[in-house]
Amino acid sequence: MTSAPAAASSAIRTIALGGNPNCGKTTLFNALTGLRQKVANYPGITVEKKTGRCTLPDGHVIDVLDLPGTYSLVANSPDEQVAMEVLRGLRPDTPVPDVIVAVVDASNLARNLFLVSQLIELRRPMVVALNMSDIASRRGQSVDAVALARELGVPVIPVVGHKGHGVDALKAALASATVPTLPTWPLPDQFATAVSTVGKAIPALPVDERERLARRLLAQETAADLAAVRADPAVSAALTSTVFDGAAVMQADIEARYHWIDQVVARVVQPGAFKPGSTLTDRVDAVLVHPVFGLAIFGLIMATLFVTLFLVADPLMGMCESAVAWLGELVTGKMDGGTLKSLLADGVFAGVGGVVVFVPQIALLFLFLAILEDSGYLARAAFLMDRLLSKVGLHGRSFIPMLSSFACAIPGVMATRTIESRNERLATILVAPFMSCSARLPVYGLLIGAFFGTAMFAGTPYEPYIWLIQGGIMLACYVLGILAAVVTAYGCKLFLGKGAVTPFILELPTYKFPQPGEVVRQVWTNTAKFLTKAGTIIFCLSIVLWAMAYFPRLPNDKILEVTNRHNAAPLVIPADATVEQEAEIRDARAAELDSAVAGAQLEYSISGRIGHTIEPVIAPLGYDWKIGVGLIAAFAAREVFVSNLAVVYSVGDVEEDATPLEDAIRADTYDNGKPVWTPMVAVSLLVWFVLAMQCISTTAVVRRETGGWSWPLFQLVYMNVVAYVAALITYQVGSRIFGG
Amino acid sequence: MNAPLPTLPGALTLDRFAPGSQVQVLNVTGALPIRRRLLEMGLCPGVAVDVIRRAPLGDPLEVRVRGYLLSLRLDQAAQVSVASLTTTPAAVA
Repeated sequence: MTSAPAAASSAIRTIALGGNPNCGKTTLFNALTGLRQKVANYPGITVEKKTGRCTLPDGHVIDVLDLPGTYSLVANSPDEQVAMEVLRGLRPDTPVPDVIVAVVDASNLARNLFLVSQLIELRRPMVVALNMSDIASRRGQSVDAVALARELGVPVIPVVGHKGHGVDALKAALASATVPTLPTWPLPDQFATAVSTVGKAIPALPVDERERLARRLLAQETAADLAAVRADPAVSAALTSTVFDGAAVMQADIEARYHWIDQVVARVVQPGAFKPGSTLTDRVDAVLVHPVFGLAIFGLIMATLFVTLFLVADPLMGMCESAVAWLGELVTGKMDGGTLKSLLADGVFAGVGGVVVFVPQIALLFLFLAILEDSGYLARAAFLMDRLLSKVGLHGRSFIPMLSSFACAIPGVMATRTIESRNERLATILVAPFMSCSARLPVYGLLIGAFFGTAMFAGTPYEPYIWLIQGGIMLACYVLGILAAVVTAYGCKLFLGKGAVTPFILELPTYKFPQPGEVVRQVWTNTAKFLTKAGTIIFCLSIVLWAMAYFPRLPNDKILEVTNRHNAAPLVIPADATVEQEAEIRDARAAELDSAVAGAQLEYSISGRIGHTIEPVIAPLGYDWKIGVGLIAAFAAREVFVSNLAVVYSVGDVEEDATPLEDAIRADTYDNGKPVWTPMVAVSLLVWFVLAMQCISTTAVVRRETGGWSWPLFQLVYMNVVAYVAALITYQVGSRIFGG
Repeated sequence: MNAPLPTLPGALTLDRFAPGSQVQVLNVTGALPIRRRLLEMGLCPGVAVDVIRRAPLGDPLEVRVRGYLLSLRLDQAAQVSVASLTTTPAAVA
């Protein structure tokens, strides 16, 4: 090899780590950059852009870019697209790397060398980091780095990323990175004419460069750098004149590379005593994907995940809420009433609380995901579940997002990041909020308790079976959500995919022990990103909802009216009451007045007026304006529906005991004496809450995960239309059969 | 498990082999993007492939190719035409 060293290290500003998924690239990135990293997104897409800084032995500081893992420079997913575009220098938002570090898994050399064969053709300064040689040598294999360097024509540095071995040598080698000069792998003779015809039509480039472009054009690659070349009339004429179909050229090109790879592997790898099928991974897999034990262990792991998100997170969420509430009290406690106090207490601190409350679930979810992904189990989980989910157009990897969504759609939507294929990821995001989350439970509880509980069935033959009826309705809510998700996902498969089958071609990586540092890092970056990105949107929308319930203020004459009406009822204090009892009665009376004013204020506010305005729209569903106000407030979080009704019905705090609210809604009547709330209204509301998209936090997270507003808005409209139609049919049909 | 080989030699595709069989890839067919990815993952004509197992629910398939483990749905495995390398044919109907 005659290539000269690229440059002195001072000429290097940026290096990029490229390599296959599961080659240990991120571990090496961490070893190179330590804590000096930042994680952002490539503009407009959800692919993570991880950059860090690294000090070279001579003190020179460079930027290190960790590219998404890719099997090929012909992209199959947004992640691979980014890796390809950065490496080809097609992204204006990212500097072209001065040195490419090709990270190669020594224990899986052949498949890893395929990408290297494409990187070599970029003709940019390059170093190969030969990673995981410890796994290879544990198997008795050895990879001769010197021989490999000779074959590739670039420096090859053995490293063990998670132990930091070889990292200094790699840093030192950057300055001696060389531009590879291996000739392009020859295609069989029958393609030579086509390649040279197209190559000759490409203007003003060296011959070998032209032929590489010609091969990519003939193989029907669609990368952005080819568009301009293809647009040239001479080139497009040459392309149409060739007799070969693109697939044949594509296949010949890949076969030529693997032909070369087989020869290289035979020369540099000493297989030793290694027998495929005898590794630790094979023995672990015999249990973990076993038809019986595998499914049992999978069930156990998923049950643990679910219980953790549902039950373990709960007290932590309570602590987060209390901490924010305590802070809020500290700030606003000494303040007199008024707009500023309400803004701070019910707007700002409630908004912050509404963001922070999700942190325990998100942190715990990513703790699980990081451990499962790093160990290699997540790919097995997808392998086990794919059959079930592919039937409705989802992916084996959709299982964890769906399961997490039963606790909360926010971690659920965030967990879809592990799904590489865009269509299946979007479908999963779209249907995840149909899973009945924990925020719906207080609503289900109130409605089922008020209309299918003791008050309804006491003294009837059904009384002993109340638990069964209530449990059955609760179960029906969960089943309805799952059905809606299945039908929607199937619709996505039909319309979104437009017939294109997304392949499930998934590597099952070697099992590894998760690196604690990497696990902590993932939990931290994902939680921090939720707080900074989705959190700000949730916070702003919370303030908007607060203002809608707070303004305009009830005029003084209206307050007086409510007060007079309240005072008109005589205050009864029994003659034998003690001083304490009398004080208690007076306090209760004052609290009643406060509740009555709050209720009148809410009715007078923008929310209350919207509730009145939309009454004609929601009346066919069986709802009056008070329910309408509750539905609007529930956009902050579904469980707010309950506390909002408590304000409308002026029953005070329902945190401890919902019975006064249950009694109040059952007693409420229209002017004509007809009850506002009937069991059919409750069922209609249950259907609405199962199906409706009523959560600004989820919408904010979907916006963040899909990189724009079109998907979250589509989801918002779609789910609410489905919910409206379903609740309408339920109420109209139900009330005709069972009576109002 | 030990059903006789189908009479049409061209009808042998990777999805029809039971765990334990070893096959050699003859060709990869089908729509370009999936065909390209199967080849890129190392399923090139001539390479030996061990069928390891099927997922408990019957699909996908797990194979070992070029020393690593790869899973693919039966739909995609049907795009890979193969010849049996095992002496006892282990093709499943």
